[in-house]
Amino acid sequence: MHVMPKNRVTREYMNTSPSKTQEVTTEYLGKLLADVANTRSRRAFSELFKHFAPRLQAFATRQFGNEQTAMDLVQDTMTNVWHKAHLFSPEKGSPTTWIFTIARNIRFDILRKNKHRQNDVSAEDLWPVLSEEMSDSSEEDFALDQNILMQEIGEYYRQLPDAQRIVIEQIYVQGKSQQEVSDELDIPLGTVKSRTRLALQKLKELITAHD
Amino acid sequence: MIKFHPTEELLVKYTQGELDASLCLVIGTHIDMCPVCANTVKDIEEQVAKRALNSGSRFANTDIDNMLEQIMNSSAPEAMLREPALKEVMLEGKQFKVPPSLGRLGSRLGPWSKVPGSVWRAPVDIEGQHNVNLIYMAAGASVPEHTHRGSEATLVLNGSFADEFDNYGDGDFIYLGDSHRHSPQTAQEDCLTLAWLDAPLQFTSGIARLLNPFSSLFFR
Ligand SMILES: [Zn+2]
Repeated sequence: MHVMPKNRVTREYMNTSPSKTQEVTTEYLGKLLADVANTRSRRAFSELFKHFAPRLQAFATRQFGNEQTAMDLVQDTMTNVWHKAHLFSPEKGSPTTWIFTIARNIRFDILRKNKHRQNDVSAEDLWPVLSEEMSDSSEEDFALDQNILMQEIGEYYRQLPDAQRIVIEQIYVQGKSQQEVSDELDIPLGTVKSRTRLALQKLKELITAHD
Repeated sequence: MIKFHPTEELLVKYTQGELDASLCLVIGTHIDMCPVCANTVKDIEEQVAKRALNSGSRFANTDIDNMLEQIMNSSAPEAMLREPALKEVMLEGKQFKVPPSLGRLGSRLGPWSKVPGSVWRAPVDIEGQHNVNLIYMAAGASVPEHTHRGSEATLVLNGSFADEFDNYGDGDFIYLGDSHRHSPQTAQEDCLTLAWLDAPLQFTSGIARLLNPFSSLFFR
């Protein structure tokens, strides 16, 4: 038992142990995706690949029980990551989630192709992840409850002190970062953070008191 | 307010891509209409993704290098072109808005045909099967009491209907297993639903039983 070819294993294989990978944060992975999107950075993509490819392979092997198909899924998924990184947006979810949804769609299509059916529905029709022209506007009409919710929240939000309301508006309505708000209003970042915290606390009180 | 939602189990299977395309369509359309489930699905996606991709297998370095090269030298895939989504359907002089998940498959919507009892249906062709239908019930219409050999999922797109169990309105999603019998009917208001069946209906009462041999013509 003690003659395990240890050196060979460490040299030939990359082992992603959980302790090591926990250091890779969501923000860091997001930055790598942004680098791929903005500058076609091969270095950033290599890092993403080394993080995700072994995970995708393990996932796909569990799903298909077939190594070749699993490798096809890894390659298809990561090819999409390379070419479509600009479609990732951190507001919609983490990089892991985005890449999972690409893999999920590819798996769905692979399983159906195997059945040789004509005129299949593609996963992209059901879960549009990679379509360029995805617009959210058409979906607003149907989320009626959301509109009512927004109206209600609007009332609470008018009850906030001006200083807090302005900060909340810039962050949650205009989508600015706390740093940007700090720069634009020329107030310290700490103040932006505490106003945000107080405002959210106040809103939460108003909403729960209302229920 | 939407009262009836898919179970969490269904939403998880939906997120994992483990349901029929046809049932995915009905659930996706509910999610378009339901901010609550849209949020739940976002959470489920995060969790499912973390679990699916939490650990890696050993990956040979030569494989890594080869695949990396191939990918970074590959040409960009063509942009995915999609047909313009269907925005609304017209029936009996009325216009109904179509949520995006259904709209994206709008070209698969077949012609309307009339079914006994002031009911119309139009099949959605998902891989040659017709187990998803738009079903329109005029005001005061009823579908004879029936049961299913399989399950049935119904999503109210517009209007309301009732059965022995409850009243259902816009966005409500009702899932019935094979043991349930029910007889949907509309009152003053008409109702447009998107309905999924995994086996033809079985009519259970009175003269409607005579329809059984033909039920697949109506609803599947
Ligand atoms: Zn719901």
